[in-house]
Amino acid sequence: MRNTYLRLLHLVAGVLIAVLLGIHMVILHLDAILGFFGVDATEPTSWGAMISRAGQGIWVGLYIALLAVVLYHALNGLRGIILEVTPSPRTERIVTRVIIAFGIIAFIGGAYVPIALWTS
Amino acid sequence: MKQIQPRQNYLGVGGWVWAGKYKLERYLYLLHRITGLGILLFLLIHLVMTTIFRIQGQDVWEATMTILHNPWFKIGEYLVVIAFIYHGLNGLRLILQELGFALGRPTPPIYPYQDSLRKKRPWTIAMVAVMVILAVVVLFDFLVGGW
Repeated sequence: MRNTYLRLLHLVAGVLIAVLLGIHMVILHLDAILGFFGVDATEPTSWGAMISRAGQGIWVGLYIALLAVVLYHALNGLRGIILEVTPSPRTERIVTRVIIAFGIIAFIGGAYVPIALWTS
Repeated sequence: MKQIQPRQNYLGVGGWVWAGKYKLERYLYLLHRITGLGILLFLLIHLVMTTIFRIQGQDVWEATMTILHNPWFKIGEYLVVIAFIYHGLNGLRLILQELGFALGRPTPPIYPYQDSLRKKRPWTIAMVAVMVILAVVVLFDFLVGGW
């Protein structure tokens, strides 16, 4: 039953990623097309543009939310693939623990930097 | 007495590619997996870049951006975008069909067999068409603004 709920969460996270990553990709990468539609998009990967985004709470919240759902979706997907290739209760325990530990470390590291830049 | 266990998943990774006659949807699923692993690899690089390199200040950030504007990285970025589009659209189709939408009514198994997925193949074709259109739009953006 636990894997069923993990899978359901995987689907929900997938839909959330489609929305959040859509925003992230359009703002950061479709600058030429946004310019064509009259939206002023200065080079979004320049230091100035990045710092001005990092100072706005809405972007900080969006990035941390995106980080959380992406890490869940990615690591749960990886866990599913590893367990399909090497099925055994022992691998399941080890893989689950390693993946949870990695996810927590990646989330803390990934959430610390936007918060540090926001408050500095 | 020792119980004989059936061999689990005896085809292993080879079974992803071939275990008898696979239909189109099965290969879309294989591609879903490959793009997922590719995006995971990108995610790790992206996280290192936006945490460890970004926190070190403007000089390190701009040096990183100069490296990333190399044409080979641009081609890699384009492949990542294509993988995102594919994984997202195919994932949407998988979610809808897993929840029972876009499947069609079941019919009695009379030859030639028509399973529910294949009756709704136009949806799959439409998804691939949308993907190709988005890929061209993004390619346009890369060529105009990115190089």
